[in-house]
Amino acid sequence: MTVNFESSDNSPNGADRAAEFDALRRLLVGPEQSRIDELSDEIESRELTSEELAEKLPEAIALRGSRDDQLGKSLGPTIETALRESIRRDPQEMAAAIFPVLGPAIRKSIAETMASLVRSINSAVEQSLSIQGMRWRVESWRTGVAYPEIVIKHALVYRVEQAFLIHTETGLLLEHVSAPELNVPDADLISSMLAAIQDFVRDSFNPNEGAMLRTFSVGEHTVQVEPGPRALLAIVIRGQAPNDLLIKQQDALETIHLEFASQLADFNGDATAFVPSRPLLEGCLETVLSTRKPRGKAAWLRWVIPLAIMILVLAGLWIRATVRWSRALAALRAEPGIVVVDASRGFGGWHVSGLRDPLARDPSQVLAAAGITPRSMTGKWEGYLSLDPQLVSLRARHAVDSLRRQIQSDRILFAPGSSQLDQTALAKLTSIAVTYRSLEQEAARLNGAVRLELQGRTDPSGTDQTNAALAANRAAAVAGWLESSGIAAQQLAQNAIATASPIVAQDSAERARINRSVSFRATFTAGQPRKGNR
Amino acid sequence: MIQKKICMVGVYGTGKTCLVQQFVHSIFSVKYLSTVGVKIDKKQVRIGDQDVTLMLWDLEGRDGTRDVSASYVRGAHGIIYVADGTRPETVEQLGDLRRIVVDEIGETPSVIALNKFDLKDQWKLSATDESSAGGADFHRLRTSAKTGEGVEAAFEWLAEKTVAGTEKGS
Repeated sequence: MTVNFESSDNSPNGADRAAEFDALRRLLVGPEQSRIDELSDEIESRELTSEELAEKLPEAIALRGSRDDQLGKSLGPTIETALRESIRRDPQEMAAAIFPVLGPAIRKSIAETMASLVRSINSAVEQSLSIQGMRWRVESWRTGVAYPEIVIKHALVYRVEQAFLIHTETGLLLEHVSAPELNVPDADLISSMLAAIQDFVRDSFNPNEGAMLRTFSVGEHTVQVEPGPRALLAIVIRGQAPNDLLIKQQDALETIHLEFASQLADFNGDATAFVPSRPLLEGCLETVLSTRKPRGKAAWLRWVIPLAIMILVLAGLWIRATVRWSRALAALRAEPGIVVVDASRGFGGWHVSGLRDPLARDPSQVLAAAGITPRSMTGKWEGYLSLDPQLVSLRARHAVDSLRRQIQSDRILFAPGSSQLDQTALAKLTSIAVTYRSLEQEAARLNGAVRLELQGRTDPSGTDQTNAALAANRAAAVAGWLESSGIAAQQLAQNAIATASPIVAQDSAERARINRSVSFRATFTAGQPRKGNR
Repeated sequence: MIQKKICMVGVYGTGKTCLVQQFVHSIFSVKYLSTVGVKIDKKQVRIGDQDVTLMLWDLEGRDGTRDVSASYVRGAHGIIYVADGTRPETVEQLGDLRRIVVDEIGETPSVIALNKFDLKDQWKLSATDESSAGGADFHRLRTSAKTGEGVEAAFEWLAEKTVAGTEKGS
């Protein structure tokens, strides 16, 4: 130890000095040095605690994200795996999360599909059913031109036939769509030419203001150019385009700029990146036929005709029912002996009430006679005596007949061989005379006349001669009495039948008794009915 | 399908139009040049395993450098400078034309077509003239719009460059 110290002191070469300095330093700052070493170890081996990481993470992500897109690239696969795992574990959760996005998109898509389906069905039905459609079909068949062409020729308001999406800077075609039957092989050339013409126009007329050629017409075609910062959208229209088409065009172009922002910025000649823009461009293609405008009128007409027919049929039925009803009422009212007081119609049938003479015809018979058979009719009739001449005379006829029958049922009996009127006969004759006067009155009411035939008979005993005389005497006796009671002689006819046509009876004694008689036969002769008298 | 915008640049009478006329696909007549002032033609070439459509922009020649307008070359992926080998001044003007183009769109794949090579007896360019035409490091080709010599080669070379540029860039 001592030797060492000695030698270093005595031979002061470089190595020794360094060692000495080191020893000195250890003496002076030894504890601090070891602390520094500890700290440095700690720093090197240190890992962030979760808490510290949580504190720093958002800031760190933002910082790295602003620098480059490495973070996105590294996180991409992890996020994909996480999503896959999440979906595998519980698809419901993910479905719920993306539903608000997918729902409206699907609805919109379905709505558009349905709308276009309805439109095409409508126009197909309209065109194939209308007279115009038939005419066009005939024209198509006659000229050999396809039917859609004929429709377009006649009914076209406007039609967007082509849409060009053109890269503004290079004039190269990004995407092109055209109407299905249109064949445009050189869309790329047309696109570049359009761009070149834009340059030409700008250079020629307004070099400093960036103005554009927006619209130009060629024959029946109009080209409408909508410029955007990186792309322009040109549409080729046949016919007269409305203003809202421009808005549609602008919308499409704006959407393309939004959805294809990076593709547009990085475009270097490869247009495949713009294939997804086709649906947006196809949205601009549309055909508007003039049939769409009068469609409202046509639809109205299509409803009106059946409606009118229905109304006419109903009105016809109603009028027919009303006519039948009024004819029925008229028939009932005209019918003698029927007085209609109240009448109504309903779903249940006809209801009629009023007065009816017992002698009047049955109301349903009246209607049947008028050719009307109601589905159902209920009648409520009160009895009354009609003063209708027809019924009056009918009633009189009934009375006349009744009186005649009454008179004819009686006979005046005589004792054998006698023509003397006994007490019984006189009483009977008195009654018959009264009845006959009533008959006379009734007949007079009918403006007719009555006659009374007196048939004198005898029993079979005795000779025909005596019997004939006896029969004549009996009739004369009755006639004489009746004349004396006031019955005009000319109304009385005497008929001595004697035994020619005897009144029949089972018993011969009875037969003999009832044939010793005078019986009556009242005849009524109708006269001309009196007019204008009820 | 890759498309590239190629501009024909050169002063009046150097044969830009003739150069593309014979083998391009064109739907517009030459009349367009005088009426609209511009004509676009299309040439499809195959580079490696992909088809490339070259859209060739040709302006009506007027005089001098006014033939090149800014909007005309904007967005171009390649430039074909055309000079007339029988008129040395057209070669000299290439420098000015190139400056205009570079000012507008920066360095772009380019090729120089020294045209009208079929007129050998009137050819005025020496070997030095040819190798220095347009400045340093240029690809140059003798072309003849009449015989077709060198024309296809010029377009294909340029097409290849533009595609290579795309690939490098992406």
